[in-house]
Amino acid sequence: MSILYDEGQQAIATESRRVLDARMSKDRLLGLLERVGEHDKPFWDTAVEQGWTALAIPEEFGGLGLGLTELGLVAQAAGAATSGAPFLTADYGLSSALLGSGKKDLQSIWLPRLASGEAVAAVALAEGNAILPPQSAVAFADGKLIGTKPAVPGGLTADVALVWAQADGSPVLALADLASVQRRAVSSYDNSRLHADLTFTGTDAAVLAQGEGARILALETLARMAVVTAHEQVGGAEALVNIARDYAVTRKAFGQPIAAFQSIKHRIAEMYGLVEIARANCIHAAASEGLPGFLIAAADARISATEAYDTNARDCIQIHGGIGVTWELGLHLHMRRARSLAVEQGSLLFWEDLLVSQLIGEAA
Amino acid sequence: MNDIEAFRSKARAFLEGMAPKYARDARAGNTVEQDLALGREYMAARHDAGFGGINWPTAIGGQGLTNMHKIAFDGEEMQFGMPVQFFGISLGMPVPIMIHYCQDKAFVKERVIKALRGEEIWCQMFSEPSGGSDLAALRTRVEPDGNGWRMNGQKIWTSWAQYCDYGVIVTRSDPTVEKHKGLTYFWIDMKAPGVEVRPIKLAGGDSHVNEVFFDDVRLEDEQRLGEVGGGFGVALHTLMIERYIATDSAGFGPHLDEFVKLAQEVEINGRPAIEDGRIRSAIARNHAMRAGLDSITKRAFLMMQAGMQPGPEGSLQKLVAVRSRQKLSELAMDIKGNAGLEFDPHAFVKTDWGTSWLNAPTGRIAGGSDEVLLNTIAEKILGLPQDHRPDKGVPFNRIPA
Repeated sequence: MSILYDEGQQAIATESRRVLDARMSKDRLLGLLERVGEHDKPFWDTAVEQGWTALAIPEEFGGLGLGLTELGLVAQAAGAATSGAPFLTADYGLSSALLGSGKKDLQSIWLPRLASGEAVAAVALAEGNAILPPQSAVAFADGKLIGTKPAVPGGLTADVALVWAQADGSPVLALADLASVQRRAVSSYDNSRLHADLTFTGTDAAVLAQGEGARILALETLARMAVVTAHEQVGGAEALVNIARDYAVTRKAFGQPIAAFQSIKHRIAEMYGLVEIARANCIHAAASEGLPGFLIAAADARISATEAYDTNARDCIQIHGGIGVTWELGLHLHMRRARSLAVEQGSLLFWEDLLVSQLIGEAA
Repeated sequence: MNDIEAFRSKARAFLEGMAPKYARDARAGNTVEQDLALGREYMAARHDAGFGGINWPTAIGGQGLTNMHKIAFDGEEMQFGMPVQFFGISLGMPVPIMIHYCQDKAFVKERVIKALRGEEIWCQMFSEPSGGSDLAALRTRVEPDGNGWRMNGQKIWTSWAQYCDYGVIVTRSDPTVEKHKGLTYFWIDMKAPGVEVRPIKLAGGDSHVNEVFFDDVRLEDEQRLGEVGGGFGVALHTLMIERYIATDSAGFGPHLDEFVKLAQEVEINGRPAIEDGRIRSAIARNHAMRAGLDSITKRAFLMMQAGMQPGPEGSLQKLVAVRSRQKLSELAMDIKGNAGLEFDPHAFVKTDWGTSWLNAPTGRIAGGSDEVLLNTIAEKILGLPQDHRPDKGVPFNRIPA
């Protein structure tokens, strides 16, 4: 696939940004930070209405049959708006894993429901800093899961989850209907992510892959999700460049706009550089989906996007001075989101190691 | 395969044929003079083979192809380490400016062909002791002298001037107007009476840059390029010509693969350095950064092929790449420890970490310092205001020294 966006893709980028600009409310998002267990319903309704849930699902399952590039562009708009729900990425992760598993029956049960927005997914791989723990605390036996996955994004309300577990020490990638799972809401620094500990107490689950196959499918799924998240991070990081610029040209100190001071203008120029490098990596990664080298491209995108969003959140606030740390201005929405996204899909610690392993041909 | 890719493979075949005699390994141990002689030979062979002046009109000795063809060729050639460093500026800026501005077309054609074949070299004289980043602060003075001009003053950091036959130069023709408005641009004969070139030895030990002194140098008015007082515009034009040159995400230092190889060969605390988290982190961060720059380049290339204007993000290349090369070179030296102290001043910057490190500061200053590049990004791309400039609107001779 080309790394130049075609007209359709450009239209998706423009339209998704336009819709979110019109419908998102900073005050609404600020309110969500202090309430546990609530996501931004207007955002998610918009996602369903606009067909974003159907975007990357094949047409035979009621989707639009588009791919990572298009979903990435929507994620970028969602990132710019610090959108208040984690499901776009998780839905994509679960549907990718389902498609990769070849389990037709499960595909026809879940994919149409995800496409229509009737159901939403969570992806429960990580335990602490291990994104794919070698020995998961969740055990799979006789078609049932037992154990707890901590702080799963979207876990509080998701209908179905992709679960990384183990059976007698060997990895299992399983699909679990969450109707009967025990959920404990986690009060986090970014509450609209709906983090929840999911405790499986003999929950029915279907196996998507086992052993080495599970590891490969989980890694591929994770990389795809990481590329979506990287786009979201780029969207956030780019928004912060614009916010910093707009403030620096209007705010005056010592008789001139603060943007005329090199300590400020160079900082903003560096922020721009981080965004463009991460964006270029995202475009390349999305276009490399399904090709050799995809894991490396995904890692490049993830690493540069994480660095861009974290740095820009930090620096944009710094450029604002005192007003930047107020609740009301809301730059902390980005600061919080930069960190929650940096941890979801595995932190830099994981991706740096993975990238080097891929470069030197180690088993990841 | 499209036209560009076909051209690229043709170029590669040519370069592979030339490599045994002219590429990096063949040049090892050469003195500068030997390397220059080898370079001149290579340039002639390159022109004979149809790879000289790729994007220049055939009427003046070029190949009549596009910028894309040239970038494709340069990208391939860069990997071989051919002895072309002497000719890069010559063909990159002064000669194209001559093609554009010089009225004596027969003279130009002769110069172009000789420059393409490495027989003549041109330098570009902009920087002065009183103005590098601040180009328009230059003081080299021209005064009317009969039907021509007389020049006095000094330039500095002039690459390869000691081997040059001709050069282009920006001078001050009117100190009573604002600094940008009193400049005039000329070409000059570097062998003319009153021109004196003194090489400057740089920190890395080599002397590819020079001071150039002018003592009552006579210029004919035919040597003027552009209008009297229009020199700043011609200078900007000169700097814009090579806007989309072949880039190098390794910052013109060693490829990241070299670093990975080193980390696999050397141990830290009894374990391969490649297993050390600090080393892995550095590799990963550099890889992500360089991959981003490569992707920006590739996208710009595709956009140009499609007849579109590439985005402004290409201006990040040198800033980001050279800066990171500097730090990565330091880390490579740390990995080697005292086994890396041995230093060969003639080693190649693209294969040797010590040489890469020692020459990196030059890369961060020449061709636009990091600070100037950041200003450019901030002002031209992001629309941020210019710095406070106390000399704005003030006649040059009234600016406090």
